[in-house]
Amino acid sequence: MFEKVLFGGKREQQVIEDIKRHIEILHAASGCFRKALAENDKQQLYCIADLEREADSIRREIISKVYEGAFLPYLRSNLVRFVEIVEGVFDLLKDAAYAFEFLDQTLDKEISGECVEIADKNLKMSELLLIAFETLFGKEDLREKTLAIRIYEKQVDEIKHDLIRKLSEKEVKNFWRGKMLSDFVDSLTRISNVIEDASDYLVIINVSLR
Amino acid sequence: MNVVEIMTRKLETVDADAPIYDAIEKMIDKRIRSLLVKPKDDKDVHGVVTVRDIVNKALLKNLDLNKAKVRDIASKPLVCVDKDMDVEFAVNLMSKFNIARVFVNHGKEIIGIISLLDVLSAALIRRAREGHRV
Repeated sequence: MFEKVLFGGKREQQVIEDIKRHIEILHAASGCFRKALAENDKQQLYCIADLEREADSIRREIISKVYEGAFLPYLRSNLVRFVEIVEGVFDLLKDAAYAFEFLDQTLDKEISGECVEIADKNLKMSELLLIAFETLFGKEDLREKTLAIRIYEKQVDEIKHDLIRKLSEKEVKNFWRGKMLSDFVDSLTRISNVIEDASDYLVIINVSLR
Repeated sequence: MNVVEIMTRKLETVDADAPIYDAIEKMIDKRIRSLLVKPKDDKDVHGVVTVRDIVNKALLKNLDLNKAKVRDIASKPLVCVDKDMDVEFAVNLMSKFNIARVFVNHGKEIIGIISLLDVLSAALIRRAREGHRV
């Protein structure tokens, strides 16, 4: 009965399905970005803008449904905040794709391996975020899922450390190339932080559901 | 799960003839606990120097860190596993030799390292994913 009051109504179920779809799109966009980077093919980046637009419209729907009365009032702001954090990941993905597209050459060999590895871990983190969100309404332990996300975040942090060191040793021959490369690495390496923030927010939502 | 899936590809090295102080500096700077020791020549083999080696074999014995060489405290030969071996095999090896990491080789080339922390992280991630597939 209590569970039905919290998230078992029709409107609540619709919002939950929409949030799942939102994260699934994030996973698809992360996969698309990873593939474009691994194959050094800028043509494949178009899918990110498409998926980001789709996610944007779902985000608006979620927020409308929540403020039209889905969920108890005390839960609404937390759910909306979570969706906005996930939206922040889309923004970073879009920024990274944009900077990658405008790099006049492809990525240098010395850093491309690290960049693909980070994109791969971002992809796995988005998958785990979806699993963690589903856990919120199931009987599994959310802590296990958020810990796995934190492990990935630490791994990305270590790769980032190496990447920045390699970049700092490179000579910048052209201002705009240097700026685009710096923007690209900055956005790419911040994605894991924001996914971790989103998973931390799930913990807050979980506490407020108890 | 194979070791290649969870190993760390980044290998930090140090020359066998470098002073121990160089190895310490590298470990502190890179926040790592072991370094691969390069062979001196074609007849030599790789070795490893760990924080434990430095504390037990150099600091406790009051060696001059600027004069004593890495080769004096390094362990040889390396304990290695093939990249396609199962993680469980690597863990058993670590347990048998009471070590915290093993190197990963592909033929004669050393391509990575796998530590107990890597195994733990991989196990936790696997546990979190269990029963889910996106």
